[in-house]
Amino acid sequence: MSAEAEADGQSSRIEINGVGKRYGDLQVFKDINLEFREREIVTIVGPSGCGKTTLLRCIDGLLPVNEGEIRIEGDVITQPREGVSMVFQHFGLFPWKTVRQNVGYGLKLAGAPRAEIAEKVPYYVDLVGLKGFEDAYPYQLSGGMQQRCGLARALTMEPSVLLMDEPFAAVDAQTREILQFELLKIWRMRPMTMVFVTHSIEEAVLMGDRVVVLKGRPSSVFEVIDVDLPAPRDRSTLAHPRFTEIREHVWTTLMDEVRAAEYELN
Amino acid sequence: MTTDALTQPADSRSMGSLLSNIFWGTSLRAKVTAGILILLVWQVGVTLFAPSFVATPIGVALAFPGVVTSKVFLIASKGTLLAVFQGLAIALVFGTVVGVAMGRMKVFDRALNFYVSGFYTMPMIALLPLLTIWFGYGGDARLATVIFAAFFSIVINVRDGARSVPPEYLEVCKAYRAKARYVWFDITVFASLPYLIAGFRLAAGRALVAAVIAEFFVSLQDGVGMFVLFNARNFNHDVAVVGVVALVAFGLMFEITMNWTTRRFFPWYRRETKAD
Repeated sequence: MSAEAEADGQSSRIEINGVGKRYGDLQVFKDINLEFREREIVTIVGPSGCGKTTLLRCIDGLLPVNEGEIRIEGDVITQPREGVSMVFQHFGLFPWKTVRQNVGYGLKLAGAPRAEIAEKVPYYVDLVGLKGFEDAYPYQLSGGMQQRCGLARALTMEPSVLLMDEPFAAVDAQTREILQFELLKIWRMRPMTMVFVTHSIEEAVLMGDRVVVLKGRPSSVFEVIDVDLPAPRDRSTLAHPRFTEIREHVWTTLMDEVRAAEYELN
Repeated sequence: MTTDALTQPADSRSMGSLLSNIFWGTSLRAKVTAGILILLVWQVGVTLFAPSFVATPIGVALAFPGVVTSKVFLIASKGTLLAVFQGLAIALVFGTVVGVAMGRMKVFDRALNFYVSGFYTMPMIALLPLLTIWFGYGGDARLATVIFAAFFSIVINVRDGARSVPPEYLEVCKAYRAKARYVWFDITVFASLPYLIAGFRLAAGRALVAAVIAEFFVSLQDGVGMFVLFNARNFNHDVAVVGVVALVAFGLMFEITMNWTTRRFFPWYRRETKAD
């Protein structure tokens, strides 16, 4: 990577070169080649079971790849790396810790001094809208608030790469919409490379600068779509004709597979 | 939304109300009627058919105030309770360490599971003659018996708990690059707390039994077991039964303290359902 490329902010943070993943005889995906640029939001969408969540776990280093390699800022990923944070669909909060303790736990595990934790935690708790709930336990929070907490924990690490694993799949539709726009707002305040996995086509198009469509069995990248929608994205984006156009395009691309997957699940 | 979770602080119940809950909780009338009937049958039966030294409810009630304030009884209670608490504390610390190791590392589990299960099912009374020779006819033998009785039920439960830590917790640990000591003694211990508490309850019951039996066997003067034995042999059966009632009270006290501690310090315990 040249110094020039790095300086203009167009350098690639994440490179995925010929990556494949197998569980025993089952090939989940193969021959995936992608490059994610700095401060770019890339959404990955695909039918159930296409391995999009598995791919994200490989990028984080939680799972090993069987073929090819994944590089973040030049380093080959074999295990979770500093500067990369993940937000989980299952929230991943510890029920015996309060919001404050959960949010600060990533820093604590990283060995950050207490003063730093005490300084950063309230800022990010406030940023995700959990002010006043610092001493609440997860069981006292709604799903949406639990995920705010999970997001705050990832953000306090001040990562350069944020990996989102279907983060809003377990919250109700209205809350989901609110969280989507709040996440975009936070991203504008503090832009970072974000890889966002979702099974919602609408969410993928709304959030992504680019949408990666995974398809096939084993799956591979079928299409990468540049989402040329005006920034900042907000509620009016949903009514934009171009939004509808792209959404329908992705939908048509995936429809046959979605149907096949549905029959298979039933 | 389940309003209950938000409007009722988990620690709102005081120790006193917990105590009254155990007694008054449900079907008060049936409980009291049954109690009175049992005491009546006991009183009448003994008066009509048994020799005069056999304990009766009235005799026990009359003996009660004098006994529980007597120095002999207080020393005995202190001895038994101290041995049980010390033994439980030691068993809890070492049992947790061994249990976590067995639950999280296959090597330990393979090496120790057979022996832990074996010792757990073995009646610890069988070891008492050996323990008295190793530790002498004194308090040490009682403490050893208590530890022995409590240790294995804690190990077994903590091991099961450590094995059943939700994979999501471990995934988060890995993603945040947690060091092993956090995974073991923060995440694993807290995630297996329900198992730990169950094991500790079981251990407490066994510990009390162990203490009393050790006192019988070793003739320990400072023990409620010996207090009961001594008075039974001297035909002070009313006094002996007061000792038995005291042992029941110790067991109940432990249950209440555990409940209260759980609610007070682990408000999230058994409340993992979300308030959507």
